[in-house]
Amino acid sequence: MAPDPNTMDAQSHAWPLAIAVLLAPLASAAVIALFLRRRGSLAASISVAASAFVAAAAIWLAMSGVRLGGGREWLRLGGFAISIGFKFDDLAALMLTVVGVVGLCIHVFSVGYRAVDAAKARYFGGLSIFMFSMIGIVLADNLFMMFVFWELVGFSSYLLINHWCERPSASAAAKKAFIVNRVGDFGFLLGIVMCYWVQGTVNLDELGRRAAAGSLVYSRAIPLLLFCGAVGKSAQLPLQVWLPDAMEGPTPVSALIHAATMVAAGIYMLCRINVLMVPPAQDVVMWVGALTAIYAALCAVTQSDIKKVLAYSTLSQLGYMVSAFGLGSLDGKAAGVGAAMFHLTTHAFFKGLLFLAAGSVIHGCHHEQEIFRMGGLRGRMPLTFATFTIGVAAIIGMPLLAGFYSKDAILYLAFENNSAVFAVLALTAVLTAFYMVRVWKIVFLGKPRGEAAGNAHEGGLSIQAPLVLLAALSIVGGYTSLYPRALSGVWALVPEASGSAYGIILATSVAAMLLGAGGALALYRSEGPESTGDPLLRRAPGLFGALVLLKGSFDMAYDYYVVKIQQRFAMVLNFLDIVGLSGVFIRGAAGVAEMAGMGARALHTGRLNTYVYWFLGGVIVLWALAAGIL
Amino acid sequence: MNPTLDAYVLLSALLFAIGFFGVLIRRNTLVIYMSLELMLIASTLALVAFSHFNDTIDGDVFVFFILTVAAAEVAVGLAIIVALFRKRQTVMVSHLDALKH
Repeated sequence: MAPDPNTMDAQSHAWPLAIAVLLAPLASAAVIALFLRRRGSLAASISVAASAFVAAAAIWLAMSGVRLGGGREWLRLGGFAISIGFKFDDLAALMLTVVGVVGLCIHVFSVGYRAVDAAKARYFGGLSIFMFSMIGIVLADNLFMMFVFWELVGFSSYLLINHWCERPSASAAAKKAFIVNRVGDFGFLLGIVMCYWVQGTVNLDELGRRAAAGSLVYSRAIPLLLFCGAVGKSAQLPLQVWLPDAMEGPTPVSALIHAATMVAAGIYMLCRINVLMVPPAQDVVMWVGALTAIYAALCAVTQSDIKKVLAYSTLSQLGYMVSAFGLGSLDGKAAGVGAAMFHLTTHAFFKGLLFLAAGSVIHGCHHEQEIFRMGGLRGRMPLTFATFTIGVAAIIGMPLLAGFYSKDAILYLAFENNSAVFAVLALTAVLTAFYMVRVWKIVFLGKPRGEAAGNAHEGGLSIQAPLVLLAALSIVGGYTSLYPRALSGVWALVPEASGSAYGIILATSVAAMLLGAGGALALYRSEGPESTGDPLLRRAPGLFGALVLLKGSFDMAYDYYVVKIQQRFAMVLNFLDIVGLSGVFIRGAAGVAEMAGMGARALHTGRLNTYVYWFLGGVIVLWALAAGIL
Repeated sequence: MNPTLDAYVLLSALLFAIGFFGVLIRRNTLVIYMSLELMLIASTLALVAFSHFNDTIDGDVFVFFILTVAAAEVAVGLAIIVALFRKRQTVMVSHLDALKH
């Protein structure tokens, strides 16, 4: 795209602004960590101000059409240099805008949500360091820099899941998230190293140039290893186990990190390395995504914790995006990237909205998360009800709302490229409609089933404003023509059905929605206030048990692996360590030195007479040397 | 009968040996110091004897210098021992083992 004269002026401001966007949250986090640990309100203001600046600057940068690229050397080790730089193209502009806007909403929401918490400063410091890390991933121009920030988001995610660190379940969940992510990140790191080894560079621009020039070395291992990172961070099978547990964190954190932005970083990273993809690797990506989508949707059906339902729904939607990416190109354009990023954007809006609305419900019900103790909240929390309804309508693909368009783009791509995946995704759409309408109906309709639900109240302005903004975005987010023209580079890649395919996709998607929603409304109808528990459990206990088993199977398998295999292996290694390393090498080496020391100490008596003997001995040796005897 | 050079050298060696074993065995700093002086004197005796039997005065000149230095050295050494006694209330080397600790 040739720079037009209007952007030339913007260009000169863009570099400092982009750097400021990256550093403002870091500065906020540093100030909070160093000076404001006990001053929660001030810390909150600073953090919100930083995120407001980020949101404003991100929108300006995206809309002004200014695009940046380049960097400088950061670290040189012999012939190997790590650079740090920005690649701010349309993809990054879109992602930065999403991160900025959703981030701002969640910062504002947090002010109202966390008003009574003692550790407020720590919380907002964590949010700021998260924003810094996430923006770093978005702007990174090479894979090493991306990896650094990739680890940083893992760290900030750990901090925020662990916010209520006095709860054993929260600290266990934080550790689990961190460790499971490390598994994926190890593959990511291997992929980066291999990419450097094979291609000689990890710079994204350079890789793109080589792909255009046809000098790129294609291999299956590189994209698959890099995909490991996305599997960990975006919680795809088989590393999905950490995300549901991560709901131990505060709800705004779940909204920001574990729904809208961080978990989407995996999809974003895949779109960044699109040039490295080869068809066999893409097939793997596609199937992993599709299986995650259907697996998580099945798990979500049995959940009774409102946040867990949303967590599995997030997993499922992430599977959609990964699958969309894996479906690859259509008509010679990278339709997978377009569809995945489109769904990422709309999902960030409506899933952020759903989590914040759930947070508002939890807040209103005094930290009650069990949906079967809620009910009848429609009258008590009308705004939350309205916005949650919009979110549900968007995620289940109600026509004219955001999710409808992005989901249709993915379904169309699947329809054209792989009918098996199309069937899986369509079935997932049915399940999505089913479990979302289930939650919506149980929580908001009917009569209150618990005391907390009966006394529910709407939150303050800082809780309501983000809900309204995100609800508006969930409605209009699907119309790509409404976005600034500067972002059209991404939207041009979104596949659009036409002709008979359009009819089939529309029919499938609407039918899936109606089937799922109707099923949920029928199954969960007319519940008396005294009936507690899941109607599905009463009507089909076998099916319910099978789904619970399916959900638990991964955790059980990992538990078995860790306890029976890894732990024993670790014990063997520990034994070898104690006997071999500590016993022989370290104690042995120390023993030799100690013996020498003891011998030398015996010479050092402090008595004059002894020294005279040594003197005498020295004289004798000297004499013997001089006489030629020795 | 005049003593021969061998007798003087033997005497000097004996004196030196007495001084040396005194240094090795005795525990009192003052006695050790005296033994040291004895060793020094043994060497001067040998020098004087050599000087006499060789009809030169080289050894005698040496001895003058040695005696001068020895006088100064004794003054300093005794002063140190006195100072030591004042500080530690003992001059037994078996108690003077601060270097070890």
